[in-house]
Amino acid sequence: MERGYWIKSKPVYTSLVWHEKATSHLVLATGIGGMAVLKLFQQMHPRQPVTVLYARYAQMDADYSETLKKVVPENLYIFKFEEALLASLKEILPDTRMGLRLYVAGSEGFIWDVAGVAKQFGIDDAEIMKELTDTLARSVYCVHCKSVTRNVTTNIVPCCGCERMLFVRDHFSRNLGAYMGLMVDAESPGELPAIEEIYP
Amino acid sequence: MALNFKQETFRDDYSYSNSAHAIRRFPFPFAEDQYMYSVNIEPHTKGEPGSVYEFPFDIDEHYVAECLDKEITLMQDPGRYHALPHMMDAQWDFLELTMTALANDYPEHFSLSRNGQTWTWDNKPLGVCDTFTFGDSSTLVREPFDYIGRQVQGDFVLLDQRDGTLYADAGIVTSQADWSLAFNVGMSWKEWHGPVPRATEIGVMDRALKYLLNLQLANPVRRLNWTMTVNPRLDTSPENYPYWGGDRNKVNTDNVGDLVNLRVELQSLFRLPRSNAIVFSIRCYLMSLKDVTSYPRWAKRLHRVQKTMHPDLIEYKGMTKFHPIVVDWLSKFDDGAELGIGTHPE
Repeated sequence: MERGYWIKSKPVYTSLVWHEKATSHLVLATGIGGMAVLKLFQQMHPRQPVTVLYARYAQMDADYSETLKKVVPENLYIFKFEEALLASLKEILPDTRMGLRLYVAGSEGFIWDVAGVAKQFGIDDAEIMKELTDTLARSVYCVHCKSVTRNVTTNIVPCCGCERMLFVRDHFSRNLGAYMGLMVDAESPGELPAIEEIYP
Repeated sequence: MALNFKQETFRDDYSYSNSAHAIRRFPFPFAEDQYMYSVNIEPHTKGEPGSVYEFPFDIDEHYVAECLDKEITLMQDPGRYHALPHMMDAQWDFLELTMTALANDYPEHFSLSRNGQTWTWDNKPLGVCDTFTFGDSSTLVREPFDYIGRQVQGDFVLLDQRDGTLYADAGIVTSQADWSLAFNVGMSWKEWHGPVPRATEIGVMDRALKYLLNLQLANPVRRLNWTMTVNPRLDTSPENYPYWGGDRNKVNTDNVGDLVNLRVELQSLFRLPRSNAIVFSIRCYLMSLKDVTSYPRWAKRLHRVQKTMHPDLIEYKGMTKFHPIVVDWLSKFDDGAELGIGTHPE
């Protein structure tokens, strides 16, 4: 896409499927990600213990908490905000054991927030199954001032840190959980291409 | 032979220049009239005396000025150095490799004395002399990779090998051709090379990775890579793109020979003994197009390579704006005579 060629560092997201080999399962979802959890529970239920953490996605009305309460038999925790869910995750992870499987469904920002927390406990993001829902909105790392602008839906966005207009590249850093933003008019100040919503 | 280190700059007034000797030993990368990515990796064996391949780490007349430029860049942006915590063994491996090589190959300028774990490193050109305990970071003013990385020309990335691939888990990067260490640190081989056009399609990256995973201790390898840079600027980082990107507009028919530089990276890779990591060394050489034309063979070759360059590569290397001017200017030096295969100047 970018300048006629395709960049391979963009993560691949799949549909959630239970791992057969596990000691326990931890499912985290926000917003429409609740539907991904419901789909998981349509599959043959694993024998190991399952815990589900769910929060609404702040930017949308979608709320699956009532349905989840009916479908998830036990260990379901509902949160008002993503931040509370992530705080709870930080409390749960120290007590988990080898063989824990993690499943995440939600916006890309949420997915990589979870991966960031998991990393602090030695869990590599490759171990986490991820499903993208709700939005294609991106977190964008400004390569100039190092700020991260969240929930970006357009090809070009003003940096929340230095206010430069950033072109959102398709180059993704798992370490930062963000795409690269590069000043778009450095070579010709003030000349901006059309700003379009392409990550709705 | 003692080197004469020049006083020069890679920013602001750009007083950098090459001596006739430096031009002659320049690692000109084009052996044929066309260019496309290939797995052009060869053993990093000892080359001719005086050549850039004579020693594992080439130190030249630009050494002192380049280390000073590196200091400035690191002072302005400490994020140009980054090492993930599990890379400490690799850091000491790197320090041992570079100190041993420099002391052995340039005894007039560097010396290393070892007494058990107590080492003394004497770097005369930079006026650094320190005694420290090998393996104990608290005895150095910085982490070992940071400490010695500042005292060797070029950029260095330490690659950790696991899960059948290589991860860029540490780096000291101040003379890069438009890639960001802060963004790339922790990336796997495939993620890192994601932006390189056409290379993945023709299978180059997979084959190069397979080759490197089997890299053996004491058998380093190398390849050349290249681009063109306006002004002899080492720090063409994306971080500072707002400050150098506009220079691309300044190239015209009258100044192209002076302003545009052929930028060649001598990339070499060494397996490390304790950590099993790999050092990826990226040594940058800059030469103005005018200096390229010191040797008619090089001028003709460069003209033909540029004239037939794939548009995707021109764009990827950031040359789109001034590339037609370069080709047009070089055409004056090309009489069409047949050139044999090889990168030699004469």
